[in-house]
Amino acid sequence: MVWFKKRQFFVFLIIAVLAVYSMRLTEFDLSKFRDFENMGDFLSKWFPMNTDSLPYLFTESVLTISIAFLGSLFGLIIALPLSFQAARNTSGHRLIFAATRFYLSFLRSVPEFVFGLILLTTLGLGPFPAVIAIVLHNIGVLGKLISELIEAADKGPMEAMSAVGAKRWIGNLFAILPQIWPNVLSQFFYRFEVAIRTSLILGLIGGGGIGQQLFIHFKTFQYQLVSVDVLLIMIMVILVDYIGGKIREKVI
Amino acid sequence: MIKFENVSVLYPGAAEPALKDLSIHFNQGEFVCVLGKSGAGKSTFIRCINGLQPVSEGTVKWNDKSLAEMTPKENLEVRRKTGMIFQHFNLIPRMSVVQNILTGLFGYKKSYENLLGLFDSNERMSALEAIDQVELTVEPTRRVENLSGGQKQRVAIARALIQNPKVFLGDEPVASLDPGTAERIFHLLKETHIKRNLVSIINVHDVGLAKKFATRIIALKKGKLIFDGSPENFDEKVYAETYNQ
Ligand SMILES: Nc1ncnc2c1ncn2[C@@H]1O[C@H](COP(=O)(O)OP(=O)(O)OP(=O)(O)O)[C@@H](O)[C@H]1O
Ligand SMILES: [Mg+2]
Repeated sequence: MVWFKKRQFFVFLIIAVLAVYSMRLTEFDLSKFRDFENMGDFLSKWFPMNTDSLPYLFTESVLTISIAFLGSLFGLIIALPLSFQAARNTSGHRLIFAATRFYLSFLRSVPEFVFGLILLTTLGLGPFPAVIAIVLHNIGVLGKLISELIEAADKGPMEAMSAVGAKRWIGNLFAILPQIWPNVLSQFFYRFEVAIRTSLILGLIGGGGIGQQLFIHFKTFQYQLVSVDVLLIMIMVILVDYIGGKIREKVI
Repeated sequence: MIKFENVSVLYPGAAEPALKDLSIHFNQGEFVCVLGKSGAGKSTFIRCINGLQPVSEGTVKWNDKSLAEMTPKENLEVRRKTGMIFQHFNLIPRMSVVQNILTGLFGYKKSYENLLGLFDSNERMSALEAIDQVELTVEPTRRVENLSGGQKQRVAIARALIQNPKVFLGDEPVASLDPGTAERIFHLLKETHIKRNLVSIINVHDVGLAKKFATRIIALKKGKLIFDGSPENFDEKVYAETYNQ
């Protein structure tokens, strides 16, 4: 046992205990898969797909993508300047730093779903509150990620900028943004992908888009439409992942 | 022109000051090489000259005006008139050769002009001239990250040249270059220095380069000035004192 120390063994034990306890809480029981055939029966009701409403469902998918896109784009645009205040090396003042950090953690700690529920009361049903909910949460997430990238940036270029007599904020912008840009884009596309899944969930509370359709079709037993919804969702996620990958390749 | 009066620098948390009670004076036209062992305080010294490093005690004066008492505007004036060249070049990645050189003008221009990249044809011409002066033969639109070390240092020197500096500061500007390239870069610095009648203050590890190019050598040891004189007087005895223990 040369590879392991006593302490590592102890850690392993703790993880095992936690896993067993969690299995109890979640009623984790693989033997329940005995009734596997039921699932087969159920899935067979999904076919053949009902393609009549395909054009309509397609526009609903475009709506979902729009919600996710705006949610991450506006999130990024707002998070970017905030993250410079939330990074130790570029923040204007210690108090601004602390306040921005706190604000970002707060936004991060509230799930989009909760923002959505709260916004429903003022904005009513529809895609708009969904966009705002995703924007708010994304400001928190992207702000933190980008401020960490800023803190890890090479400080050489920043020194060069102060040495030529550039204003502090101009120097920071030029010295840091090019360094972190590829990573920022990466994070943006990842958040875009996550936002698609989130906007599906927000469909449950009337956020609109393909998620809401899926929810309605499921509740009303229209399984041949459910299959179309699911297919469209899968295509969407794969597409965003693919396009994001291509753009990242170009940039790096 | 540049004067240190009893300057000390104590880094937070350090037991010993990095510069101790340093007084020295530099005149127009001097090409000064700063020698000293690793940790002797060379970088700290260079960075005090343009105020990148604030001093703990004493004053650094430019034309009899103390850096610490200058208004932000006067401070900016000092910085933009000082071309600084770094060991690791400190170029901005993902930007082209000519874009990097133009950032040398940032101290002279309005923020929105810098932000939007509004440079007039004169300014763009002077960037191209700077490329010629440092004998860079790469495409001006090429991105700087995959240039060779010598090419990168030339871009960095061109960035300093376009500032139209009165003072050159170098913090080991040739330490990451091969000996041949290092000597060519020093030639370039010396030539420009003479052409524009500058004050140049440059850290080097290579005593040979210092003796060949400097008009004056100073040596630091544990933050103290232990030699200040002409290259001929920097003999074996001084060499030993500078680099021993
Ligand atoms: N930011 C800092 N914080 C604390 N101590 C520092 C800092 N920078 C330098 N020092 C210390 O100050 C002393 C002088 O450092 P300096 O970088 O000026 O030396 P140097 O002569 O340039 O050395 P080298 O030849 O290795 O570059 C060293 O003891 C170093 O550890
Ligand atoms: Mg140094």
